[in-house]
Amino acid sequence: MKDELSITGATGEALPHDSAIKHVTGKAEYTDDIREPAGTLHAYLGLSTIAHGKIEALDLSAVKTAPGVIDVIGPADVPADNDCSANGMHDEPIFAETVEFLGQPIFAVVAESRDQARRAAQLAEVKYTELPHATNVMAAREAGYPNVTSPLKLERGDITAMEAAPHRLKGTMVVGGQDHFYLEGQIALAVPGEDEDVVINTSTQHPSEVQHVVAHALGVPSHSVVVNVRRMGGGFGGKETQMNLFCCVAAIAAKKLNRPVKLRPDRDDDMTATGKRHDFVVEYEVGFDDEGRIVAVEGDYFARCGFCSDLSGPVTDRALFHADNAYFYPNVLLRSHPLKTNTVSNTAFRGFGGPQGLIAAERMVEEIAYYLKRDPLEIRKLNFYGGEGRDLTPYHQTVEDNILDRITDELAESASYKERREAVIAWNARGGVIRKGIALTPVKFGISFTATWFNQAGALIHIYADGSIHLNHGGTEMGQGLYTKVAQVVADALQVDAGLVKITKTTTEKVPNTSATAASSGSDLNGMAAKDACDQLIARLRAFAVEKYGIAPEDFRLYANRVHLGDTVVEWDAFIREAYMARVQLSAAGFYKTPKIHWDRESGKGRPFYYFAYGAALSEVSVDTLTGEYRVDRTDILHDVGRSLNPAIDKGQVEGAFIQGMGWLTTEELWWDDKGRLRTHAPSTYKIPLASDRPRVFNVALADWAENREPTIKRSKAVGEPPFMLAVSVLEALGMAVASVADYAECPRLDTPATPERVLMAVERLRGTR
Amino acid sequence: MYAFEFERPGSLDAAVKALQEEDAQALGGGQTLIPTLKQRLAMPSKLVSLKGIAELQGIAQEGDVLKVGGGSTHGAVARETKGIFAGLSLMASKIGDPAVRNRGTMGGSLANNDPAACYPAALMATRGTVVTNTREIAAEEYFQGLFTTALEEGEIITSIRFPLPEKSNYQKFEQPASRFPLVGVFVAKYGDRVGVGVTGASEDGVFAWKEAEEALAGNFAPEAVDDLWVSAEGMMSDLHGTAEYRAHLVKVMTKRAVAAAE
Amino acid sequence: MQTTLSINGTEHRLDLDTRVTLLDALRDHLGLCGSKKGCDHGQCGACTVLVGGRRINACLTLAVMHDGDEITTVEGLAEGADGGLSPLQRAFITHDGFQCGYCTPGQLCSATGMLGELAEGWPSHASADLDGNYELSQEELSERMSGNICRCSCYPGINAAIRDAAGAEGRK
Repeated sequence: MKDELSITGATGEALPHDSAIKHVTGKAEYTDDIREPAGTLHAYLGLSTIAHGKIEALDLSAVKTAPGVIDVIGPADVPADNDCSANGMHDEPIFAETVEFLGQPIFAVVAESRDQARRAAQLAEVKYTELPHATNVMAAREAGYPNVTSPLKLERGDITAMEAAPHRLKGTMVVGGQDHFYLEGQIALAVPGEDEDVVINTSTQHPSEVQHVVAHALGVPSHSVVVNVRRMGGGFGGKETQMNLFCCVAAIAAKKLNRPVKLRPDRDDDMTATGKRHDFVVEYEVGFDDEGRIVAVEGDYFARCGFCSDLSGPVTDRALFHADNAYFYPNVLLRSHPLKTNTVSNTAFRGFGGPQGLIAAERMVEEIAYYLKRDPLEIRKLNFYGGEGRDLTPYHQTVEDNILDRITDELAESASYKERREAVIAWNARGGVIRKGIALTPVKFGISFTATWFNQAGALIHIYADGSIHLNHGGTEMGQGLYTKVAQVVADALQVDAGLVKITKTTTEKVPNTSATAASSGSDLNGMAAKDACDQLIARLRAFAVEKYGIAPEDFRLYANRVHLGDTVVEWDAFIREAYMARVQLSAAGFYKTPKIHWDRESGKGRPFYYFAYGAALSEVSVDTLTGEYRVDRTDILHDVGRSLNPAIDKGQVEGAFIQGMGWLTTEELWWDDKGRLRTHAPSTYKIPLASDRPRVFNVALADWAENREPTIKRSKAVGEPPFMLAVSVLEALGMAVASVADYAECPRLDTPATPERVLMAVERLRGTR
Repeated sequence: MYAFEFERPGSLDAAVKALQEEDAQALGGGQTLIPTLKQRLAMPSKLVSLKGIAELQGIAQEGDVLKVGGGSTHGAVARETKGIFAGLSLMASKIGDPAVRNRGTMGGSLANNDPAACYPAALMATRGTVVTNTREIAAEEYFQGLFTTALEEGEIITSIRFPLPEKSNYQKFEQPASRFPLVGVFVAKYGDRVGVGVTGASEDGVFAWKEAEEALAGNFAPEAVDDLWVSAEGMMSDLHGTAEYRAHLVKVMTKRAVAAAE
Repeated sequence: MQTTLSINGTEHRLDLDTRVTLLDALRDHLGLCGSKKGCDHGQCGACTVLVGGRRINACLTLAVMHDGDEITTVEGLAEGADGGLSPLQRAFITHDGFQCGYCTPGQLCSATGMLGELAEGWPSHASADLDGNYELSQEELSERMSGNICRCSCYPGINAAIRDAAGAEGRK
């Protein structure tokens, strides 16, 4: 029943996720659930078994004669270019001829069934000439390995000010990587068509790139390749570029054999053969005065990039962009080192290098606080951006919208930081086995793709003659609620119930040249593009109303499922029918490009970010100093999403990002053996958070007073990535509990992931027993 | 998986007969065997499901002994030994996750003898007995190293007999991803002796920590093991924990188990 | 091998290779794609179904092991002939108990089985109370749902939904 006064699903309303009913009834269709067309074949990848070497001989005779095998595909079967690199650097072969990591695809088997293909892939006889390999940052530095892409330098002020600083501290921080562990793995189903056509149903965050890369490999124009994505079972960055490979293989096989081909690696191969979050080694030096005010920072950020460039350039750039987190560095010099290693090429992961840069900034704050024996929160507040001449980032963008003072003060107040910190110190003074720690850490995160041209989006809206609305845009749905939010934008603009808006799969056929759904930008970009399409439609409807009803333009108003025409009120569907009969065009393509941003990488200057999103978290932990076990007793979060488009979805994003961030910093450990084999390639060896790992008390609030100072869609802010870094509060609280065993005299310097064994080692180190 | 036949015998005799075929293998709940088959680490010609066999069911106290049918699921052990044998109930309630506990069986786990399985610690600490279709095997003879037991081809565990302790407890330090113990310690106190079974730690599989057993027999208190020391030599060392860490945890878990024994 | 499976109240006679897991039988042979293949190792819980009302991982069991068993999948959770959502399904929507949705079928089957266990007085090792009357504290609930991973980490929503449904259904 229609409410007389308002619509359902306006922006700002906690409308349930668009697929909610389908999710709870098992009817939401993922790529693997699509009914396979008759004659579908199944491909499976043959992976290398060494980390570095030349393939001298590849004997596939046993593979070819295995039951059910139709064909084997290798480099010679790639019609045009044996390359699936995302960035045009031509450094990522679809099938390798020189092996650069263990688990690299060297061929693919195509068989009648998936199991047959999977079994046959094991039968290859490969003769290698092995070459020396370096699988981590330290080994790569020692071996003189090159960078995979050009490094970045950010510089402001005069770094020689370090020499004059009253205090200087130097250190190294090792920051672990992270596997995405999207529950739905990589998957592609390619269906060949007439001419050079191929349609690919897949699970990618970047359909346009898959289209481009597949066309490049097949040697056909982009117009021949269609990529469809209805939804993903999680992405987190792991499906931004990583699906290129699987789609290329499926498409090549499908065109060669003229039959549909599906490719879905099992979990172990998925984890072995696809990129992860970059682990970093950060070497830092910080100079500061007696009060704890930072004078100068110098940092070198070494990243394990893997064998090719993929997204390592922008990822390591973003590490530097967030090397300041929320703090003003008067004199600063930061250098990235995107190192090549003989491991799978690392890639995007929620935060995109930002967390790795940010966490080193928080380490420096800890160093200062322990050195000066001060509350780290005081050091933080002292160094926040703001005040005369203290608002310029290392990349020369002025911070104009800082709200961290208010956020941290409100959080400290509402969660009783001061009293609880005193209580924790008193508890630890009793000297028991269980020690506690508490920490309040802030986040400032820059929003926009640093590749400026990616900051564009398109949308396509049809209004059918019965008044129902078809919405399409370039963004993809991976659970973050983008489809729901954009539908709310449309419902709000056209003033109809959200139920009237049909959200349709993302496809390269409807909106071209889209950017990845990444960098938290989905609703900013696609929401505005959809709004633009609505504005065009409204303008046409208004012109029609003015002409037909003889009203003034301002007397035309859409409101609550009705069209107000001066004193006349017409139902939406009746009015649309009239417009159709009068031959009004009821379809519009919307477009948006983010204003104001620019970035000159050579000089390291510009305004790469349209705005910043802010937040803070306060975590309290207990640590068993006999075993290193710990638990998070309580976390309070206050986070800024501007004026929320959908508070339920935004709150879910904040909670989920925080817990995923905790996983990164505590239990998720990637482990390669000396042969270069990833040993943590299954959920039995790689531990992601369970329900029991969430904080015992977990209070999450959105800053309801916040709004974006820039005119974004409804003054909202991006939410996907920024809250991930709130989990740093847990690491620092663990550090405090550890430091208590030596009366806080020494910075605990906990590296990540802070597994129980690592925590215990830190306890023993500080006690001087190790 | 390699191809295999499948049989669902209705009685123990029929199962024993079915298992006489070369490379036939008994299948309990399948929670370990099926992943093993999927990885093609085993190649049985035939799987013989023990699920429908009444003789393998049932958990009952018989005087001062608890008898657990080999086909009892972990879930059933957890529920039905509560109040009879606290340590065993606690142990079973922490194996895997609820879905695994609804399928996995005690007989299956003991027959597999994974070095990080839980039950071996309880069987060793209690010096219990494995009963098969042909004989009874004492705990200390039963375990013969990693994935190796005294079971002969085709021999089926029909039940397990645990002498009931006055007090018992199990402390597991989990490898967090698999929830198998990185170190698990089972402590069982009897009138004149104490058993301490340790799993997950040693390269040789489950073992009885005899020094602790002696010390605790004299004084059943956590402090009793304060002066003991576990060597890291012979302890497993892997990505989840070093030998030193495991050795350290054996003592910590033993003290916890003694403190919590009921 | 001939196997009869009763799924969501309908009997299916299938001739299956002995190697086919229950999950593959559901997805590939019967077109019931609600149960998801997350890890295929029995570690993620996305394939959880109910067999005789008890939750199990469908990827860790062979279809031929379930001859004659009553199996319920997410497609069969809706109550009544009209297919109305169960209180648990409704609560997942109300409390935003999902993001990407891939783990949701498993979470729902697992939670349905768990509420049944609770009604029968099954303890968990997190249970403080031994008399079979368990409060669904957060700790208790987290332990009882420990077999189901949500990588989006919607645990707050999932927990709230289950607690809500447990109350709505009335504790026995």
